[in-house]
Amino acid sequence: MHIPDGFLDLSICAVTYALTAFFWIFGFRRAKQVLSDKQIPLMATLTAMFFAAQMMNYPIIGSTTAHLLGGPILAITLGPYAGLISMTVILGIQAAFFGDGGISTFGANVWNMGVVGVFIPYLVFLLAVKAAGNRRGVLAGAFLGALIGDVLAAVSAGLELGLSTLSFPYSVSIAVAAMAIHHFFIGVGEGIVTAIIIGVLLKARPDLLQLPRVAPSWLGELPLVAVKPGGP
Amino acid sequence: MGENRRMILVGIIASMIFVAIGCAWLSLSAEALDEIAEHFGANEFHIWIPPMPDYEIPGLEGNIVANIAVGAIFVLVVLVVTFAVGKCLRPSEKKA
Repeated sequence: MHIPDGFLDLSICAVTYALTAFFWIFGFRRAKQVLSDKQIPLMATLTAMFFAAQMMNYPIIGSTTAHLLGGPILAITLGPYAGLISMTVILGIQAAFFGDGGISTFGANVWNMGVVGVFIPYLVFLLAVKAAGNRRGVLAGAFLGALIGDVLAAVSAGLELGLSTLSFPYSVSIAVAAMAIHHFFIGVGEGIVTAIIIGVLLKARPDLLQLPRVAPSWLGELPLVAVKPGGP
Repeated sequence: MGENRRMILVGIIASMIFVAIGCAWLSLSAEALDEIAEHFGANEFHIWIPPMPDYEIPGLEGNIVANIAVGAIFVLVVLVVTFAVGKCLRPSEKKA
C-alpha cells in the first residue's frame, strides 16, 4: 500500500500532508503527556518487529502479494497516537533509505497506514471490548478491527489515487473497488495475526495490555483490566 | 528492567527471523497497488534516489546474505530511532 512518487497529484499530496500533520501535532502532544518508561521499550520492539514483518511478502489472489502492516497491534497495545508515531518511523525509514513509498506521498502513506490503519482498528476494538467485555470480545475486536482498518486504509489510498486525475486516469470507483477487494484478503490475514498476538499477550503478558494508551482523551481507556486472562 | 531486556531480545530475534524469511523465501513483492497502477497506466518517478532501492545494496542485487544484513541492520536502526523518539517524547522528570 506504499504509494510511490508520481501516483498522486500535488494537490492530493498537500491535503494528505496537512491532514497527517494535524494528527502528528496532537499525537506528539499527547505522547508527551502519557508515554511511560514501560511503554517505550515495547513501542521500540513492536516497531522494529513490524518493520521486519513488512519484508515478508506472502501470495494472495491472482499474482499479487501482501505483507502485514502492523498498525492494528500497535494501536491496541500502545494506543493510536503511539501507533501513528511508530508507523511514521517505519514509513520514513522505508521511504528515505529504500524508496518503499515516495517522499511527496509520505503524508498520504502515513495518513492511510498510520492514521486510518491505526485509529479504525482501535475504535472497532474499543467498541467490541465494551460490548462483549470478555476474552472472546477482545479477540473478535482485534480481528475485526484489523480487517476493517486494512480495508478502509486501502479505500483511502484508492480515493487518493482516484482523485488524482492528472496522475491516475481512472475514476474513484474503479480505484477504490480495486484496492478494497485486494486488501480485504490482506485484512483477513492481518486480522488473524492480530487476534493471535493479542490472545498470546492476554495470556502471557496481560500487564502489557493494561498500560495507559497514547490515545485522545475523549476516547477513554480500554476496559481490558476487567478481562481475566483465563476467562472465556 | 530485566523483563524489558528480555522483551527487546525476543523482539530482535523474532525480527531477524522475519528478515531471513522475507529475504530467503518471501522476497517477491507484487503489491496490489503496484499491479493496479501498472494495469491502469500510472507511472512512478523518484524525486529522491534512495541509497538502497528495493532493500538491496547497489552492486549486490539478488545477494540473499547482503539483503539479510541490510534488513538486520535496519531492524536495529528502527529500534534505536523509535527508542530515541520515545525518550524525547516521554514526560520530563519535573512533570512526572
